[in-house]
Amino acid sequence: MSTPLIEVADLAMRFPARGRDDGHLALNGATMTLAPGELVVVLGANGCGKSTMLRCIAGMLRPTGGEVRVEGQAISGLSGRTLTEARMALGMIFQSAHLVKRRSVVANVLAGTLGRHRSLGIALGKLPHQETPHAMACLDEVGLAHFAPQRAGTLSGGQAQRVSVARALAQRPRALLADEPVASLDPDAAEELMTLLRRVAHQDGLGVLCVLHQPELARRFADRILGMQAGRIIFNHEPRHVRDNEVSALYVKRDASQRLAA
Amino acid sequence: MSAIAEDNGRRLSPHRQDKRRSALSFVVIFAGIALFLQAAFVVHARPQDLITGAHGIADILSRAWPPDFASLPDALWPALETVDIAIFGTAVAVIVAVPLALVAARNTTPARPIYVLARMAIALARVVPDLVWALIFVTAVGLGPFPGALAIAIHSIGMMGRLFAELIEDMDMGPVEALTMTGASRLAVFSHAVIPSVLPSLAGITLYRLDENIRASLVLGFVGAGGIGFQLLTAMNLFQYRTVAMLLVVTFVIVVSAERLSAALRQRIA
Repeated sequence: MSTPLIEVADLAMRFPARGRDDGHLALNGATMTLAPGELVVVLGANGCGKSTMLRCIAGMLRPTGGEVRVEGQAISGLSGRTLTEARMALGMIFQSAHLVKRRSVVANVLAGTLGRHRSLGIALGKLPHQETPHAMACLDEVGLAHFAPQRAGTLSGGQAQRVSVARALAQRPRALLADEPVASLDPDAAEELMTLLRRVAHQDGLGVLCVLHQPELARRFADRILGMQAGRIIFNHEPRHVRDNEVSALYVKRDASQRLAA
Repeated sequence: MSAIAEDNGRRLSPHRQDKRRSALSFVVIFAGIALFLQAAFVVHARPQDLITGAHGIADILSRAWPPDFASLPDALWPALETVDIAIFGTAVAVIVAVPLALVAARNTTPARPIYVLARMAIALARVVPDLVWALIFVTAVGLGPFPGALAIAIHSIGMMGRLFAELIEDMDMGPVEALTMTGASRLAVFSHAVIPSVLPSLAGITLYRLDENIRASLVLGFVGAGGIGFQLLTAMNLFQYRTVAMLLVVTFVIVVSAERLSAALRQRIA
């Protein structure tokens, strides 16, 4: 395996205390790596810290302990412009597509390139039209080039989510971070999106880190599965080595005392 | 409904519920009648005065007929003034209200104290009627259309600032988050995610306001802020009822066409 794209070492995240409790410890020593060209799926019950880990990697949250390295550069200490630039190596896909519905599909994809164009015109709402061929190539990659001039609001949920992948690709990232990307899609659309993410990893050589709620999809599409519980990663195997009872143990409801101790 | 009743630990039969409801509607109707009667008393409502005064009305109407269209050319400039007071006031108000609304919306404001300050400014501009603003500006900059335009601008900043701020607060923040993650600058996120989402509603509110402001601008003439309202007041004071009738026709044409135009444009952008 090549050098890691993303390294997460001993990551901890304690959310600030509200009222009587001493804060919620969402991450507790999570450690993992992501290599170029692999699709890694994170499984875990609600509140196990998988989304928090993704947000720490993306620099949307500042972890209270540990370290995140993207291509060798520590990201957790950065802020402002340097954070923005380091973040550009990471494309983010959310639970819903988050498209600007009144703009065309291709305009939404072009918006993914805004980070590398910093002229006054762009800041005032002009699109970087010199990027149109690149945006069209990204749309072609997700199979929606013929929808380019259409309004984004007219797309189905699955199509919109694929456009959001195209927007993330337009950013020219080295890794994609996907936070439950199929949670609001029907089974067919979910299947299509996972196929797309796998192709992006295997053919384009991007690292893809994907949080999922469906163990079955994870088994079929992932190169590696991480199981997360109580803010730490408790297993890290190839799908064929993941045992059923390991997966079901992730979703066993732990009692309140254990949660407090964690 | 029944689940709620059960939750409260006292089950009401449908029959008793009906009884309760009809008792409640009786109270509401009674209160409504009482409210109207006290209002009629306070305004000294005497319908019989209308009947005894009927010949007075007939007299004025006969003296106002036919409308004096010979003096129509004299009314054209004030008519243009009335419309332009509204256009200028609305334009200035939009330019000020958009940035003000951005800091007065909870999800885009840079800091809490600025939010409170902006909300207070908007409330102050709104609660003082445009007529009062006009009186203030007439004493400040003298008679003429300019104080009228200022009054409309200030009052509209209050009205539109609030609506714009609510528009921004109701906006879907997803695209903002997504574009922030692409490494776009703050201003670029604003112009590429916020503006395209709210622009149609923003234009709709502005067109509606322009229509309201043309009507307001007519009334403002009565306090010396220029335009056709001022002509109307002068003609009334000089008992030139035929001129008054002509001015009312002009007013009618302006108001109805502004309303129609505004509605048609709003329909096109929706």
